[in-house]
Amino acid sequence: MQTRFTTLGLLLVAALALAGCVGMAPVASEPPAEEAAVDMSGKVVIASGEKIRIGGSFALTGPIPDPGKDIRQGAEIAIDDLNAAGGLEGFMFDLVAEDGACDGTQGTNVGNKFAADETIVAVTGGTCSGETFGLIPILLEARIPFVSPSATNPDITSSDCDVCNRVALSDALQGVVDADFAFSDLGVTKVAVVHDNSDYGKGLAEIFQNHILALGGEVTNFEGVQVGDTDFRALLAKVGANGPEFIFFGGYSTEAGLIAQQMTEAPGLENTLFMSDDGAYTRQYLDAAGEAAEGTYVSFVAGADAEAMNADFDAKYLDKYGVSPDDLGPFHGQSYDSVKLIAAAIKEVALVDSGGNLVIDREELISAIRAVEGFDGLTGMIKCDEVGECGAGGVQIFQVEGGAFNQIAGFGRE
Amino acid sequence: MARHAETAQKLRIDEQAATRYIGIAILALIIWRVITVGLAEGYPTSFWISQALNGMVLGGVYALVALGYTLVYGILFMINFAHGEVMMLGGIAGFFALQFAQGQGWMEGPWLVVVVALLFIMLIGMVTSVLIGMTLERLAYRPLRQAPRLVPLISAIGASLFLQYSVLLIFGVSPHSYRKPALISGGLRLGNVFIPYTGAIIFITSVLLMLALYFIIQRTKLGRAMRAVAEDRSTAALMGVDVDAVIVVTFMLGSALAGAAGVMLGFHNTVVKFNSGFMPGLKAFTAAVLGGIGNIPGAMFGALVLGLIEAIGPSALGIPTEYKDVIAFTLLVLILIFRPSGLFGEVLSEKKA
Repeated sequence: MQTRFTTLGLLLVAALALAGCVGMAPVASEPPAEEAAVDMSGKVVIASGEKIRIGGSFALTGPIPDPGKDIRQGAEIAIDDLNAAGGLEGFMFDLVAEDGACDGTQGTNVGNKFAADETIVAVTGGTCSGETFGLIPILLEARIPFVSPSATNPDITSSDCDVCNRVALSDALQGVVDADFAFSDLGVTKVAVVHDNSDYGKGLAEIFQNHILALGGEVTNFEGVQVGDTDFRALLAKVGANGPEFIFFGGYSTEAGLIAQQMTEAPGLENTLFMSDDGAYTRQYLDAAGEAAEGTYVSFVAGADAEAMNADFDAKYLDKYGVSPDDLGPFHGQSYDSVKLIAAAIKEVALVDSGGNLVIDREELISAIRAVEGFDGLTGMIKCDEVGECGAGGVQIFQVEGGAFNQIAGFGRE
Repeated sequence: MARHAETAQKLRIDEQAATRYIGIAILALIIWRVITVGLAEGYPTSFWISQALNGMVLGGVYALVALGYTLVYGILFMINFAHGEVMMLGGIAGFFALQFAQGQGWMEGPWLVVVVALLFIMLIGMVTSVLIGMTLERLAYRPLRQAPRLVPLISAIGASLFLQYSVLLIFGVSPHSYRKPALISGGLRLGNVFIPYTGAIIFITSVLLMLALYFIIQRTKLGRAMRAVAEDRSTAALMGVDVDAVIVVTFMLGSALAGAAGVMLGFHNTVVKFNSGFMPGLKAFTAAVLGGIGNIPGAMFGALVLGLIEAIGPSALGIPTEYKDVIAFTLLVLILIFRPSGLFGEVLSEKKA
């Protein structure tokens, strides 16, 4: 028995070696690549003529496909700009876009794909917080740093995670600003909080609830729905029975829009105000809510806009995709800056070796992202702190007026 | 030998008795929970009426879809798991018909024009669903009619995914938003109870469609042929019934009801997308099993019960509304354990059981 296993094992090893030889053959015929194969663990080696590959996890399907597409296109414009400026030492950048689907499981799949691909230098994304929580453990182990343009859950960045960074602002800020606005500016004290059970929506709703309670307000209901639900009447009847003055929804556009619409018909909620978050700061929200959107509030974690740069970006975007960026989603600026931040860090650590290969040390890149001196991005001065919070700007509050978002408070208006 | 059979039978009776006691215990626990927690919340009567109305609307939608499951099961003994997608496609077609009608300005016209346009949109949705249902039957199920029962089931799941992702690729992943015309926006306000017009339309239309279906099955020659095929397919064929034609008609009837449900749900909940048939499809299947699959009045009754339980259940049991799906599917499990033949019991011939 023992010998049979040994023989089998030997056969397997032989077969693998053979397969390896066959697979290696074309690579081995190129001298630079052969050289590169020598002890390069912990380093990404890019042969001349190859591209610097940046992975992207975007929510192209799932609950917010339009914002996901917008974020992807923002990243592509950044790649175009980097390449138009000559790339890095003659090496061009390339975006490897995958569908993270705004979902933790899919985020894990995307993470595994990137971890298995040794040419991936860094990752921009994920779009949603849940998706990003799926990416984190895998990228952390594979030593691939990521910068998320739009994942706002406070726990995305922490002192335990050196590869975790984001340009978006944390919901620790958004939830508090929203609660202050509701309590102080709108003067409501009886509040119902609804969330969509996503990492993002529920996390934000909890922060909002805690801050309302801290301010001395009353939370009549804290209820969850599911992403993808379309009938909220039973929930709203239950919420309405307690007669809140204000409903806060933590979640994404479609559910937010439908709740705003259906609450106009729910007994007890006729005069109740509605507010949602950056996940609902989209055209999809206005579409789903229809006329009921009028007068509702949303908040957004906005960057500090650099007008001239943004006009230039918008023109390029419109030219390439035939649509104005704001029609799809709000986070294109953050996405552009994420890619630019990654590129700036790569520039700091990349070396060209004697064979003409570009060598990037993974550990050095991880620290370099946090050490980037800061640059003027589309969303303001991009500079990371010691836990990976790199965003600029603040929280803005909008009210829907005449079918459009109109800023009424918050960042840039004080 | 005889004694052995006797012991086996006795054991079976003991087991049945045990199951019954467990069932009664669970029921008692639920009632206790409703009395001590749900009713103790002190909701006003108008609240319970509102929730019951929400439940009846849900029930109406589930009933229309559940009938498709039950009709097909009655004749082919297979679960058409792509039926939810047939409904979704009706909703998608209805969306484009609505776009067209809005483009023509029909939705702003006098009320008669709007009503005719709405009927036209519903017809487009139903016709689309009927065509999809017929195609499914011809391509996915008929070639497998002699195969073991599990095979068409797998084919149905494949067809369901195929339809979902075809819609995703062709029409995109973003939800399509229905715009309600002014005529059916809003609703009736009776004190603290609000009845949305779309909800009332769903309930009334589903009752009318179910009556029409009942008439077709009980009073027409076609219905007699359907009942004959359901009873015994080969004997019916010997008696001169065109079995293939009857099966196609069954799919058409079920799909037409699903298409109507898809369009009405589109107007009620105002969004449709590639996977919006999945959950209602599962719920309708649950409703069909609840009433006793293969049993037409059972499907209607089961759907109404499921809709009501889903709407009232979370408040009555004093648990968060996000668990409404848990309640629905727990009900399915309980029914399968304690009354596998459904609430309406056996109406099936021996062959199907």
